[in-house]
Amino acid sequence: MSEVGVVQTIMDFFNAAVLAATPLLLATLGEILTEKSGNLNLGVEGMMYMGAMAGISASWLYEAAMGAAANGLVSVLLAVAGGILAGALGGLIYSVLTVTLRANQNVTGLTLTIFGAGIGNFFGELLGMRAGGYASITDVTKSMFNNIEMPLLSKIPVLGKMLFSHDFVVYMAVIVAVLMTWFLNKTRVGLNLRAVGESPATADAAGINVARYKYLATCVGGGLCGLGGMYISMVRFSGTWVHGCVDGRGWIAVALVIFAAWSPARAMIGALLFGGLSVLRYYMPIKDVATQFYDMVPYIATVVVLVITSIRQGKERAQPKACGINYFREER
Amino acid sequence: MKKAITLVLMAALMLSLAACSSGGDGKAEAVTKDNLKVGVVHIMDLGDQGYTYNHDQGAKKMIAELGLREDQYIPKFNINDTDVAATNAAINELVNEGCQIIFATSFSYGTQVVEAAKAQPGVVFCHATGSDAHFNDLTNLHNYFAKIHQARYLAGIAAGLKTENNHLGYVAAFPYAEVISGYTAFFLGAKSVNPDVYMDVMYADTWGDALKEREIAEALLNRGCDVISQHSDSVSPALAAEAAGKWHVGYNNDMAPAAPNASLISARIDWGIYMTYAVKALLEGQTISVDWGEGLETGAAYLSPLNTAIAAPGTQEAIDAAAARIISGDLKIFSGALKDASGNPAVITNWDGSEVLFTFENENSVFLESDEISAPAFNAIIDGINIVS
Repeated sequence: MSEVGVVQTIMDFFNAAVLAATPLLLATLGEILTEKSGNLNLGVEGMMYMGAMAGISASWLYEAAMGAAANGLVSVLLAVAGGILAGALGGLIYSVLTVTLRANQNVTGLTLTIFGAGIGNFFGELLGMRAGGYASITDVTKSMFNNIEMPLLSKIPVLGKMLFSHDFVVYMAVIVAVLMTWFLNKTRVGLNLRAVGESPATADAAGINVARYKYLATCVGGGLCGLGGMYISMVRFSGTWVHGCVDGRGWIAVALVIFAAWSPARAMIGALLFGGLSVLRYYMPIKDVATQFYDMVPYIATVVVLVITSIRQGKERAQPKACGINYFREER
Repeated sequence: MKKAITLVLMAALMLSLAACSSGGDGKAEAVTKDNLKVGVVHIMDLGDQGYTYNHDQGAKKMIAELGLREDQYIPKFNINDTDVAATNAAINELVNEGCQIIFATSFSYGTQVVEAAKAQPGVVFCHATGSDAHFNDLTNLHNYFAKIHQARYLAGIAAGLKTENNHLGYVAAFPYAEVISGYTAFFLGAKSVNPDVYMDVMYADTWGDALKEREIAEALLNRGCDVISQHSDSVSPALAAEAAGKWHVGYNNDMAPAAPNASLISARIDWGIYMTYAVKALLEGQTISVDWGEGLETGAAYLSPLNTAIAAPGTQEAIDAAAARIISGDLKIFSGALKDASGNPAVITNWDGSEVLFTFENENSVFLESDEISAPAFNAIIDGINIVS
């Protein structure tokens, strides 16, 4: 009964998949960077909440302070900075606890999830109360997240709308993925970071400052998770605080890291696939297939990938060896 | 020395037990305005700006209307209704704190509420959206729900007059009677002013996952729906309509402040009316009805102010006229020769479809929703409604 054609439905489906994939991709990239340093930070969900709350708060408070004189670009830059900084703060808390104080990584990560979700919802709702119900940013700021139509390229039939007509964060996420691939494989600092994640004792002996690498990678990784959260509150919810907005996407990102086998390039494919699967039912419904089945598919895919990678045992596709284990120089 | 400490500890334990039981005995004494305590088990917290927020507003209204102290309302927030242990713990805590009346706000608390009502005959239990009271002979168990389908019917009028391509959409939580009754009423309201409307429905399989609700709303808008409505907890479908430049009809809360260019009107429930009635009846020693379901006539179901800046001209007049006919009993929402998609008379069945409860045979068929049993029962999928997924 839908009056839109098949081609249009496929385009709508692809664009919906990109929207769902973008926060997942950013958080997955953040977690890949973190795990490459040997820190298994399970607090992705919490850092996304912190980023979501800080992004919208920065923008809202700026608008409230400036009134009609508020500049959309400044407001958006503040949201981006707020999201990144809040996520990085989560990463910093994690680093202090696990790298300096050597607390258990799993417990710390889970704690960070609960902490971040609480902080995010608490301050998000506080903002809502200050705004008298719903905290919403103005159209000036919202319009900065409109789709950017790439000159000429977006005019290509079908493909133009699918590939060259998205908001700036989507392109940013792709650029970060490409840059991270180059960074981890082609730069000395990137190789040093991987050494820290594989064998901190060896890296330490080679004169690499293990603690500094772990701190930096975890904080930058947390910043990316925070940016993913900012995308949810500012783009997916049009700059309105919605209670429980992240709702498990951080955990999907943790699963995606495994799915992508710690490769930023594969993370792009994985995020698009997971994003696509999460909206598949709404665009290509099959009668008599239980709706819950669609919700299961991404996780079944992760299990299948886990089985395949553990059979193939490729070193390139495995978790960094020291991931999840704190480094004690004295135990070397 | 050790023996002495053991004795002291034992004495302390027994004293505390005695204190507990004397607290329990307190229930036996007559309920007065001064010793009254009202417990409420909530599924979420106020942050949802929806169902729980609304229910809490109702409790506060009851406190104000009856002139009670604020500390006489004891809320338990974030009690997951599928978590049996947490539900039991919350109910027990409220009983131990001396509540003489306990409201449970979510459907799936049902089994635990029935058990508690059996174990605590001195405490009055009121369960929203449930239907256990009707099938039990417990005198201290009651069910309540507002006739929200009436308000949804009226909200549907706003949608039917606004739509430009006659294509409506609905973000639905679960394929339960409560939800089906709601969207069918919305659809029939739209159809009453615009016979050409048809409607796509998609299920979220959750009461509240804001991102999922948004994705479904976007999919409906992509399918061409130009007015969407919802039976789900968050404001995100309204935000999706706003972002797409389309229109929306809300539920639970007035969503116009969040989506001023999209939100036409919202169907709401005033829980305060029932809570005031039930607590007042308890105080005055009167019986509380087993099933309670009031609607537009008392304001238990009502509408947020119409967003006149975007609503079609004449909407308010059409809504007022229909409201007057519903209140006078002239207009029954689920009535007439309703058909299913294949043209057969629509049938209402029990929950698993094994037994037909009602058939819309002819023009004179009338099904009185939420009348005898307060929980909605209408679960027929009628012609014009397309369940997409």
